[in-house]
Parts: sequence; structure tokens; C-alpha cells
Amino acid sequence: MTTLAWWLIRAQFLSRRTATALSMLAIALGVSLGYAIHLINDAALADFSRAMKSVQGEPDAIIVPRDSAGHVPLALIDEIAGDESVALVAPVIETRVRLGRVPTAVKLIGIDVFSAALLMPTLLPREGAATSGGIFDGGLYASPSLLDDQGLRVGAGATVIRGESRWETHIAGDLPAMAAGEALLVADIAWVQAHFGPREGVGELRVRLMPGSHAEAWRAVWAKRLPPGLDIRAAADNAARISNISRAYRVNLNVLAMVALLTGAFLVFATQLTAVAQRSTQFALLGVLGLPPRMRLLQVLFEGLAIGLPGSALGLLLGYGMAVGFTRVMGGDLGGGFFAASTPTIAPELLPGLGFFILGCGASLMGALYPAWLNRIQPLAQALKTGFAQRPPGQASPAIHGRRLMLLAVAAAIPLLISLPAIDDLPLAGYAAIALVLVLGIAAAPVATNLAFGAMARAALPAPLRIAVQNVLQAPLMAQVAASGLIVSFALTVSMVTMVASFRTALDQWLDAVLPAPHYMRSKGLPLPAELLAAIERPDAPFARIERMATGSLSLDPRRPPAALLVREIDRADPGARLPFTGAVQAAPEGRITVWVSEALQEVHGLRTGQALHLPLLGRDVEVHIGGVWRDYARQFGAVVMSTGDYRALGGRFEVTDLALWPRPGSEDAARRWLATEAARHGIESAESGDIRRISLSIFDKSFAVTYALEAAAMLIGLFGLAVTLAASVWLRARELATLSALGFDRAMLARAVVFEGALIALVGLALGLAAGIAVGAILTHVVNPQAFHWRMPLHVPWNQVLPIALATLAAGMLASRFAARQATRLPAAQVLAGAQ
Amino acid sequence: MLSIVGLSKRHPGALRPLFSELRFAIGTGEVVALVGESGVGKSTLLNCIAGLELADAGEIRVGPDALDMLRLDETARAALRATRIGFVFQAFHVLPTLTVAQNIAIPLLLSGVTPAEHPARIESLLLRVGLAGFGPRWPATLSGGELQRVAIARALVHRPALILADEPTGNLDPRTADEVLTVLLERVRDQHAGALIVTHSQHVAQCCDRILTLTPDGLE
Ligand SMILES: Nc1ncnc2c1ncn2[C@@H]1O[C@H](COP(=O)(O)OP(=O)(O)OP(=O)(O)O)[C@@H](O)[C@H]1O
Ligand SMILES: [Mg+2]
Repeated sequence: MTTLAWWLIRAQFLSRRTATALSMLAIALGVSLGYAIHLINDAALADFSRAMKSVQGEPDAIIVPRDSAGHVPLALIDEIAGDESVALVAPVIETRVRLGRVPTAVKLIGIDVFSAALLMPTLLPREGAATSGGIFDGGLYASPSLLDDQGLRVGAGATVIRGESRWETHIAGDLPAMAAGEALLVADIAWVQAHFGPREGVGELRVRLMPGSHAEAWRAVWAKRLPPGLDIRAAADNAARISNISRAYRVNLNVLAMVALLTGAFLVFATQLTAVAQRSTQFALLGVLGLPPRMRLLQVLFEGLAIGLPGSALGLLLGYGMAVGFTRVMGGDLGGGFFAASTPTIAPELLPGLGFFILGCGASLMGALYPAWLNRIQPLAQALKTGFAQRPPGQASPAIHGRRLMLLAVAAAIPLLISLPAIDDLPLAGYAAIALVLVLGIAAAPVATNLAFGAMARAALPAPLRIAVQNVLQAPLMAQVAASGLIVSFALTVSMVTMVASFRTALDQWLDAVLPAPHYMRSKGLPLPAELLAAIERPDAPFARIERMATGSLSLDPRRPPAALLVREIDRADPGARLPFTGAVQAAPEGRITVWVSEALQEVHGLRTGQALHLPLLGRDVEVHIGGVWRDYARQFGAVVMSTGDYRALGGRFEVTDLALWPRPGSEDAARRWLATEAARHGIESAESGDIRRISLSIFDKSFAVTYALEAAAMLIGLFGLAVTLAASVWLRARELATLSALGFDRAMLARAVVFEGALIALVGLALGLAAGIAVGAILTHVVNPQAFHWRMPLHVPWNQVLPIALATLAAGMLASRFAARQATRLPAAQVLAGAQ
Repeated sequence: MLSIVGLSKRHPGALRPLFSELRFAIGTGEVVALVGESGVGKSTLLNCIAGLELADAGEIRVGPDALDMLRLDETARAALRATRIGFVFQAFHVLPTLTVAQNIAIPLLLSGVTPAEHPARIESLLLRVGLAGFGPRWPATLSGGELQRVAIARALVHRPALILADEPTGNLDPRTADEVLTVLLERVRDQHAGALIVTHSQHVAQCCDRILTLTPDGLE
């Protein structure tokens, strides 16, 4: 039996090489995409955790301020050290500084050498040969990568700068245990505090508990006892938060992988269905010879599996290759900007690999299921006499009735799903709604083909066209399969194009609103040098207007990444001049601190304009008034804008990190030159709004490039499905066509009939695909994106892209049917009529 | 080899039964011709005997221990065909994607004959139907008469108790038809199988041991 199964599989593959190879490739594509995303993310996370562990050690608890301007008071250190469960408390100050004229910011970690020796041994320094005095005696210790990259020498003098603070010191040694690629400086915590603050405290506490104590319980107890501005966390929370950051992005890529797998399943379906149809007499004969009925089912499933097994194996290989290639080119976040620009090492993973392998095989089995069932129920005697029966005899009417009911239920479920909230930040209901829209589109295919071809049948048509129409009406299965392939692939393409275009249009308009000034200057994560700020205000500086901003962060929920705090020189009476508000703005009440929150923050925490909100600010809990909600496509985890006046009133220090600059009229060129010199002198970034805009849009385009490639693949697969099914349906009618040619139709007329049929089917598929695609695009923009990224945008259907794609598809579909027609009419009529097998 | 008692069949939706209360038997080594007007139900009768279609009532017993086809489920009917029945069609039905030898090997695979025996059995049958050396060839390169001889070899290779043939020479010219029929009759007789051959040819019918005529009123 296995010998026979193997013979049949081999014969099937040999006679349908292209179809088989393409189905395999589609399955491989889905598997590889899923596996690659998984590998890359795992490697990036592992990389991140490793780096985290090396600078943080493995404490049982970390106590941190909730906002970037807060600190851990010194008194708390003694209090915690006095707790009898505590073995060790390590105070740490982490800050970012600039080293002399080196144009990048470097992380500086201040540690207490005795506690660090036990908790964070990788941070322990090695004294350079040339230095004198005790370890940590007012010197800097640099990681080997930093020394190499910046060409620094142990023993050389160094100037450490942050905002207005300077520290003249020297490089006293290196950090031998630090992994390659890690650029950081270590110094004694007292020196760091003396020069860069915080004055009355430290940046964070890392706590190691006595052996046998219960860390979680301990953290819970202390969470209640801590002063309001502080959070207590487990070390592992950091990795979890990072994983959260990239999750939405990953989920979307995974959906693309799923789509690829589903199109693979569809290709297997189309290939196997036509294969079953073409071989119906062969299977009937085998049945007559005594092939057990269940083997007619299994054989088709085997063939599906024979596509899935090598396809999935190839997919794993490709996925591994892709993961390695992508991380080389784009880094661990595929250009998403979530992880530092490191290149993680990709290692193949057995269990997830097996999972994706099974998924690939499952998809191809799924595709083979219906054809296998159809093959199983073919009536043997009849199949031998007249060939493939598209419909199981005597089942038509109840099935159609049931289908109508099912369609109604599906249609009713969609609005319901759309209104459901995200589960754990994942828009699962939205994805289900998308799947249902596609199901609905496919299920509408029979109705639509009947409508289109029924209307045609009533029209007065030339004979060849009449034959084509009649054929589809009599035997609609192949037409429906061909149409469904196009429906799905065109719907996916239209939806993706729509989603991307909506997003891009919205981003474009948003950039206009948030970049009012011609020039911007910023210094990533540390205050701008005081020298520069002074220079820019001198009367000879070519600027008419300057707006300053300070950035910080605050944590509203310890399980989520922190939100950005933007302190801006903004007019409290007219914030709309600078922020693109999504709704009404409420005037700031006199004497109350007012903030304007971004859409993401509003969605995550369910905020309203006009309500009061408690924010951790400057180590305190401050009640603020929400004056409005503004759109922000830049900070996915939310942002809070506050005026400098309000921030100063709270007692905050306004340390400028960003500048918006308007040159004096007429001195645009002078301004450009001025900025270029100053930026180079202080090693900071300066950009024109046009550049920022161009770069932003190009990053956007780059991160969606993958989707364009997948759209192209989907369209090819859809077209191929059309070609395969048309060719098969023509092939099945070879005898009929030969009869017609014996009756006096010439080849050209027959070919025209087939092309006409293909065009009509393609039109039906494209129309339904367009409708489904716009619906899916709307769900993506209005449901999935807001739930996954908390970004809203208006729907924008790019007809200038959709229509050309539709026309090209139609043309390609007609070409495919022409090819099918040629194949069929090339057979000598006499041979076909003689029934030669 | 075959005994039929009280067999009736009416197609769904048909006004009157095609045949009812049929009764006949075929003995070991006996070759019976079945003739009758077109549309009278000859092919249907053959299909019922092979278990491809289900009769409405009656008994169909095949083989030495006389298993009743009507009492078996679909899988068991397939197994019965695989072991006890050989089928020959008017339209040859040789699988184009398998070689001649592979086509003939199908019944051996289905009836579970040990693979070691296959080559010898196939070769000797090919020799006896006059196709020595044709094993590795593809069906597309064979003539109609040769294809039908492949089909005959395939129907006999697993030594079935009963051969059913539906107009086996209908697609062949008279001379080739004669050759093919001779081969078929010789092989059936030297394997001591029973055979039921549907035919429109007077000549073919004459070559058989017995002639049954199916009419709307029954067998004559
Ligand atoms: N599946 C079916 N459903 C309904 N009627 C059928 C079916 N198959 C055959 N018939 C009818 O049964 C009758 C007998 O058909 P059958 O094929 O057995 O005839 P036959 O004797 O073999 O004819 P011929 O010599 O032309 O081959 C015919 O009238 C045919 O119309
Ligand atoms: Mg007949």
C-alpha cells in the first residue's frame, strides 16, 4: 500500500512540478517568517538580559524613583540595611555624560566598591599600572570597548560633562570583566554624586536578601512602606518590560507569517483540488481494483503532507538564514528601534523549530482536507464513466441553506468582535474579525459568481462567450476556488496598502504639526551644554525665536515601560499652537498644574480631558489637571507635556535637552552655518525639519518594506491559484471543448471563451477582494493599530495604488486563462474524443 | 465462482426497476457472455456484482467461500475486489503516470502479495499476453490493443476468482479485438477463474461457453 502511495505521490509531483514547488515555497515562506521572527526576538532579548545582568547583577529587589527627576533618599539606605532579611544593599547612580569632545553620550555608573564586589562583580575595576593611590580614588574606569572605540588610554586625563556640570579627572583603569560591545564608565558613587547629583540621595538601590528569605513577599511588604515617589521591582521585570516593548511589533509580524502560511494552505488546496479533479478516473479505477475507500482520503492527505514536510523543513532553514541575515543588516529589532543597536547571535532553537515545522505541515494538511474528502465521496462507477463530480450527489439544498445561516452568523459576529477590547494589549478580537471578513468574502464567492454569470446568461452573447458562462453556471466549484484565491490575496493587499497609506498620510500631517520650527538641536538623553545655551542667546546669534524643551521619564505603572515627560516652553493659554490635539482643549485653571497627555497614555490609562491625574514628579505624588489629548506617533508608551512655568513652580530644574530654532529672516544661511559649527563643537545632533521629516518617513517606509514584499507574494499566489484552477477546469472540459471543435468551433473561438471566463472570474474575485480588503484595512486602522500601538488615524484608501494593482491583476488573470486555453486546445481533438487516457 | 439470487435494482428516481429477481451462477473456469440492448442494464449489473453500486435486494456470492457482496461494508467490498475480482473496461483505464509493470503491480500491492514475487508474476503474465519486455514502457507509447492487453494482465495478475469485463473489445478494430479476446479467454481458462463478459459482438459471444441475454423482463 505504501509503495502504491509513493508511486502516486511521485507521479503527481512529476506531472505538476510548478504547482507543487510553489505550494512548497509558500509553506516555506510562512514557516521561515515565523521562525525567523522568533529567533531574532529571542536572541535580542537574551542579548539584552545578558547586558542587563552584567551591569545590574542579580539582586532580589531594585528600588527606583518613579520619575527621572526623583531619587532614593539616603535615609532609606540605612532603613533597608537595618531589615533583618537583607544581606546587602548596593546604592547605584546611573547617569549619562559626555566624555570631553567625544560626540556620543556614555553611561556612567557610580558604585560603592564593597557592595558591588558582591552583587555586580562585572563592574569591578582593574587599576592601571600608571596610576597611584587607592582603587576608586577619584578616577574613571572605562570598559574595554569604550577604550578601543574612542582611542582612550589608561592614565590619560578626562573631562566628564553633563549640562552645566564638569568633572576634571583621569582614566584610572579598565573593567576587565565587561563583555565586548558594552560602552560604559564606572566611578565611585561619592564622586559621581558630588558632581552630577542627586544631592540628597542615590539613583537606585539593589538589594540582596538573606538566603532562604522569600523575595516576593519581602518586595510586597516594602512596596507598602516606601515613600510615594519610589517603586520596588524584581530584576526580572526589566526583561519582561523590554519584551513588552517589542511585543506589538512582533505580533504584527507574526500575523504576516500566519497569512503566508494560510496562503500556502490555499495553494495546497487549489493544487490538490485540481489534482483530485484531474485524476478522478484514476482514483475511481483504483477503487475498482480494490483500493480501500479510506485510502482515497489518505492518499490526498499524504500528498498534502508530501508538500508540507519538505516545505516546512526548507522554511526552517530559510528562517534561520533570514534571522542571521536580518540581524546583520538591521539589528535585533528589525529596524523597529526597540533594542540598542546590538547584533545578537542567532542560535537555532529545537522546540520552537519543531513547533513551526508542525504548523507548516498542519497548514498543508488543512489545505488538502477538503479535496481529500471530495475524493473520498466520488461515486466510483459514475466517476469512471463521466469523470469528476464537483458536488456530492443529493446534498445541494440543505447545505446551501445551512451556509446562508452560517454567513449571517459570521456577518453578525464581526461588529461584535470589533467592539471588544484588547486582551493583554493584543488585539486578538480584531484579528478574529479580520479572519471572519475573509471567510465572508470567500463564502460570498458562490453568490457573486452566480449573480455575475447569471446576468450574463440572460444577455444575448456570441456563442463562445455563452459557452463559457454556461460552463461556470453548471459547474461552479472551480470558478469559486479560482475566485477565492484572488479574493484573499487581493483583500490582503488592499488592506495592507490601505493601512500603510492611512498611517503614512497621518504621519505626514502629524510631522507638519509637530515640526513648526525650521531647525532642531538635541542631545540624546543628557542636558545640552551650558556653553551652547549661553551662545544661542547672545545678540549675534542669528535666531529670531528659540523654544526649549527638557525630556525626562515617569512611570505610571511599574509593569509598563515609562512614559516620556516633556517640559516645554509652551503657551499655557494656547497649547494648540504646538500640539496636534485630537479633541477639545480645556483652558488651564488658574493656579493648577496642567498637563497635556498623548493619545497612547489616554488609551492605556483611560484618561479624559478635564480630569485630575496623579503623576510621580520630582519624587513626589503631584495632582495635575489634564488640559487635552494630543496625537503622538513618536512615543508609543505615552508622553506628558507640561509648561516650563508649571515645572519650575513645582521646584523642578529645567535642564534643556532639545531646542527648536527659528532663524532671523534673511539670515537662514548664517543660521545653518552657525548650527553646523556649534553641533560639531559640542558633539550634538542638529537637523532641519525637512531632514527629520524625510528620515522619519524613510524609517517608516523601511519598516513596512517587509509588508510590500509579502503583498507581492500574496498577489502572485492568488494569480497562480487562478491559473492553476482555470487550467484544471479547462483540462477537465478537454473532451467537451474537443466536441465543440468537432462541431465547427475554431480554436480561436474556444480560446476566447476560456479567456472570457477567466476575466469574469477575476472580476468577481477582485470586486469581492476590494470590498473585503477595505473592510480589513478599516479594522486594521481603527481597531488593531489603536489596540496594539495606541495610535489612531483616519482611513485613507489609496485608489492610485489599488486600481493599478487591480488592473494588473485582471490583465495577469486573462493572460493566465489564455495560457490555460492554449494548453487545452492544443490537444488533438480526435485523441481527446477517442477518450485516450 | 459467482452465484446470484433474487437480485433487483432500480435507479433512484427511475419509474421501474432495471431488473428484478435475477438469478444465475458461473462455475469454475466458465466464461459467460452477457448481451442485451443498449440501456438495458448490463453495465449496472456488472457494477452491482463488483460492489461499485449497491443492488436493492438479493444475494451476490463471490469466490470459493461465497461471501455475500450485499452484506459487506464499503471497505470490505473494496477488499473483496482486491482479492477476488478482476475488471476489464471498454476504455482500458491504464494509469498514464505509471509504467506498464507498475500498472500491473497495483492488484498485487492491494491484495498483499509479497513484493519478492511481483517481478516474476508480472513478467510471466506479460509474456502470456504477448507483451514480453513492455514492463518499463509508459502507457502513452502503447497502441489501443496493447493497452487492453495490459488491462487484461492487470485483471488476472492477482489470480482472482471472477473476471468482469465490460465490452473489452468495444474500442478495438476487429482483428485486434480477436487477438485480445483470445488472450483473455485463454488466460481466464488457465487460471480456472469464472468470467462474465458484456459484449455487443455476436462473434465474441459465440466464443464463450454460455450466453445470457438481459432484457427488461429478466435473463434469458
Ligand atoms: N446513476 C444513474 N442514475 C439513474 N439512472 C442511471 C444511472 N446509471 C445508469 N442509469 C440508467 O440505467 C439504465 C442502464 O444503464 P447501463 O449503463 O447499465 O446500460 P447498458 O446496458 O450498459 O447499456 P450500453 O450497452 O449502452 O452500455 C440506463 O437507462 C441509464 O439511463
Ligand atoms: Mg454499458
